[in-house]
Amino acid sequence: MRPALSPAYRSHVVDIRRFALLAAVSVILGGCASFSADGGVGTAQAVAYAELNKDVVKIGDDATALGARARVDQLLKKPLTADSAVQIALLNNRGLQAAFNELGIAEAQMVIASLPPNPRLSISSRTGTLSLEIERQIVGSIFALATLPARADVARDRFRSAQLRAAEAVLKLAADTRRQYFRAVAANAQATFYQEAKASSDAATQLFKRLGESGGINKLNQAREFAFDAELGAQLAQARLQRGQERERLIRQLGLWGDDLKFSLPGSLPPLPRLPGIKAVEAEALRKRIDVQIARRDLDLLAKTLGLTQATRFVNDVDLLGRRIYDRKLTVLADGDIEREATRTRLVELEIEIPIYDFGQSKVALAEQTYMQAANKLAEKAVNVRSEAREAYTTYRASHDIARHYIANVLPLRKIIQDEALLQYNGMLIDVTQLIADARGRILSNVAGINARRDVWIAHTDFKHALIGGGSGGGGGSAVVAAAGGGDAPAH
Amino acid sequence: MTDLSRRGFIGTSGLVLAGATAVSGRTAFAAVPEAPTMASAATQAPLVPTSGPDYQPVATLNGWTLPWRMNGDWKEFHLVAEPVEREIAPGMIAYLWGYNGQSPGPTIEAVEGDKVRIYVTNKLPENTTIHWHGQRLPNGMDGVGGLNQPHIPSGKTFVYEFQLRRSGTYMYHPHSDEMVQMAMGMMGMFIVHPKDPAFRRVDRDFVFLLNAFDIEPGSYVPKVNTMLDFNLWCWNSRAFPGIDPFVVGRNDKVRIRFGNLTMTNHPVHMHGYEFKVSCTDGGWVDPASAWDEVSIDCAVGQMRAFDFVADEPGDWAIHCHKSHHTMNAMGHSVKTYIGVTKKDLVSRIRKAAPGYMAMGTNGMGEMGSMEMELPKNTLPMMTGYAQFGPVEMGGMFSVVKVREGLAKNDYADPGHYKHPEGTVAYEYKGAKLTEAPRVEPAKAKPEQATWQVKDPRKPRLGADGKPLPGAKAGGAHSNH
Repeated sequence: MRPALSPAYRSHVVDIRRFALLAAVSVILGGCASFSADGGVGTAQAVAYAELNKDVVKIGDDATALGARARVDQLLKKPLTADSAVQIALLNNRGLQAAFNELGIAEAQMVIASLPPNPRLSISSRTGTLSLEIERQIVGSIFALATLPARADVARDRFRSAQLRAAEAVLKLAADTRRQYFRAVAANAQATFYQEAKASSDAATQLFKRLGESGGINKLNQAREFAFDAELGAQLAQARLQRGQERERLIRQLGLWGDDLKFSLPGSLPPLPRLPGIKAVEAEALRKRIDVQIARRDLDLLAKTLGLTQATRFVNDVDLLGRRIYDRKLTVLADGDIEREATRTRLVELEIEIPIYDFGQSKVALAEQTYMQAANKLAEKAVNVRSEAREAYTTYRASHDIARHYIANVLPLRKIIQDEALLQYNGMLIDVTQLIADARGRILSNVAGINARRDVWIAHTDFKHALIGGGSGGGGGSAVVAAAGGGDAPAH
Repeated sequence: MTDLSRRGFIGTSGLVLAGATAVSGRTAFAAVPEAPTMASAATQAPLVPTSGPDYQPVATLNGWTLPWRMNGDWKEFHLVAEPVEREIAPGMIAYLWGYNGQSPGPTIEAVEGDKVRIYVTNKLPENTTIHWHGQRLPNGMDGVGGLNQPHIPSGKTFVYEFQLRRSGTYMYHPHSDEMVQMAMGMMGMFIVHPKDPAFRRVDRDFVFLLNAFDIEPGSYVPKVNTMLDFNLWCWNSRAFPGIDPFVVGRNDKVRIRFGNLTMTNHPVHMHGYEFKVSCTDGGWVDPASAWDEVSIDCAVGQMRAFDFVADEPGDWAIHCHKSHHTMNAMGHSVKTYIGVTKKDLVSRIRKAAPGYMAMGTNGMGEMGSMEMELPKNTLPMMTGYAQFGPVEMGGMFSVVKVREGLAKNDYADPGHYKHPEGTVAYEYKGAKLTEAPRVEPAKAKPEQATWQVKDPRKPRLGADGKPLPGAKAGGAHSNH
């Protein structure tokens, strides 16, 4: 006998059907969040291409690996330029690949988050001596299902943020590489100049040695000259040390090892970049800066999350539980007959957590504060970005002025000094030692000039990235302070 | 005394003629004699007197004599103290202070007993005065600013009046900011001739002042604070090869007079003759007490005159015997590289200092013949070419050129001395020498030649007769 279903039960069945329909729709909707073809690096690639004119690849298989390798090999053949260094780093830096992997992880999480909750199915059986009870139960989280579109949306946004962060990582790597490239080249040129200064100083030392032998100089003045030479030797050693350090730092940026280390750097920095007449630096920075975009997106994200929280303020979790129970009993009658009795019960349960102690205020407050925190952070970022753009531009301009001052004034003056010193030497008005001292002064001014030019290029990089993001002030400064100036000429 | 009353005092004493805002062309200055000016640094012919008592005029080495006018029984001169440009030697100009266009100023010549009235116009940016060094005169005419007279302010004209009480050799120079003004070249000669033109008369009478400047190579203005380390040792603000020769006819009686306004003494040495000191700024030396010398030291602030008869023809050097004083600008801290080989270091040093050349290993004589580019506006340390090669001199160096048959007033450079055959030092080649021939000096005919800064043996003209590039037109410097 099949007992008639109560009307109530019937309506439950309808609900379950609706539930299934809803779930199916959700699955279809959620299906939008599947894995992308590029693993999410598209944004990073687009940014790299638009802002840096460089290629970025996520190395996921042998073909891409080989392709990237071939391009890196090609670029390493010629002396590096700032651009080729950046391209190599973008292709070869494993840190960046790791960032892309992280992006992949974020994507996977997004996909997970966008799937509807799996219904839980359970079967239990209870067997007595004469009875058997089989309970089949299907449980689906209505809440999870109902919020699925919203959660999928949030996950997608999170993934987009992650994409922007990957793009930021690209920009940062580019900025760091570029800065380091200029540092390495400058350190190279600096060491070369010190080497020249040392060579002339060695010649002078030789002269003083001979003067000592001929009786033309006393020990005091000889020692003074030797001391100068010795100190210059220490400076040269320091310059070489710096050259090595800067090169290693560049190597790390480029992700090189083994035979690749033989790459060569040019002997001098490129000529000064043209100073752009930028007007709306702040607006441009606000519009383009990738960290601003991230912060804005985060804020939007939080806004969505907050909306979700408010909607579910009183409901933490709603579980819909469908249960089907098959109950069979065997009864041994007095006559020895066995009476079989079987009942099938269907039952739907709705489980609601009742917020007795927390009516959701704390959750709302948390969400609100989180939102406000993000909003304030964005506002702060906007202020900082404006300031950073201005500062970067000012620094760039100032360092440009300083470098131009070296090019237009200091170095020509040094040349005049050296030329006139030669004329004076011709007339036996000054000693050859003065001539050498002036030459050394010129060399040291040249070192200072190199550092000034390096600072321009670093400031140039900083400025560029202050507008697009990915850079935090690299700053200048040289480890080897150029002791420029004629004042150090030894007394004769 | 207030300024006003001082002016009143001067006015009544007749020292001030008028406030000299302008010197000429104003009625107020109609009474002031013209102030002639001189543009050339060459020796000018002696100024033969055309009025007043007669005398044998002097020849101012690289200078000139100030013309005068007679005004009643006053001989009137007009000195203008002003900034001037002086050629120290070809290729170097100094911005100095002087008188009437030159430094030193023109020589003032007059005769014992003359009443001289000297107008002094100050065109300097600061006060000045003139002290008449060695003269007997009224105390108020002695020219020590503040002590004997008010300083002559800028733009004013003062008058000095005195009678010349004794003949002899004197100087004039400022006594107002004296250190600066003398270091800037303010000075001149003042010769008082004897009343009797026959008194110790000579045929040629040269005068000049010893002066020194410190002008950094490439600059133009002397460093007035230099005390001893001067780099330009001059006679009348000229340095060899810019100093003219003393041109003398054979057997002329010659007097050379000089005063020392440098900061050190100068033993002036003349080759070929012994001479006797005939006069100091203190007066004539009694011939009986004079003795023979070949060098005469002249202390700072002194004047000396010596006489000789030029009976030995030739080109005789005359110079200060402090050997640094016969050098031009040089670095006093240049090390001595004698015996230090530099050749192998040249290329290494050139890497740092392109154009470097090794010098000094064998001494500095090579400087005399090297013609390397120098800073602008300076002189080679040693230079000048004569017929046998580089002279390797500078500074206080000249030549007494004694020649047969010069006209009385001919002071033109007669060129290099033509040595009679067998009278020039020659290389010993191992052959046994006979007694050196004693040849009477031939009658050397003066020929027009000049001092040259550049080596005449180096070509200046190309095959087409046009100057080679780089050779200046008339690059050979003529002193006339």
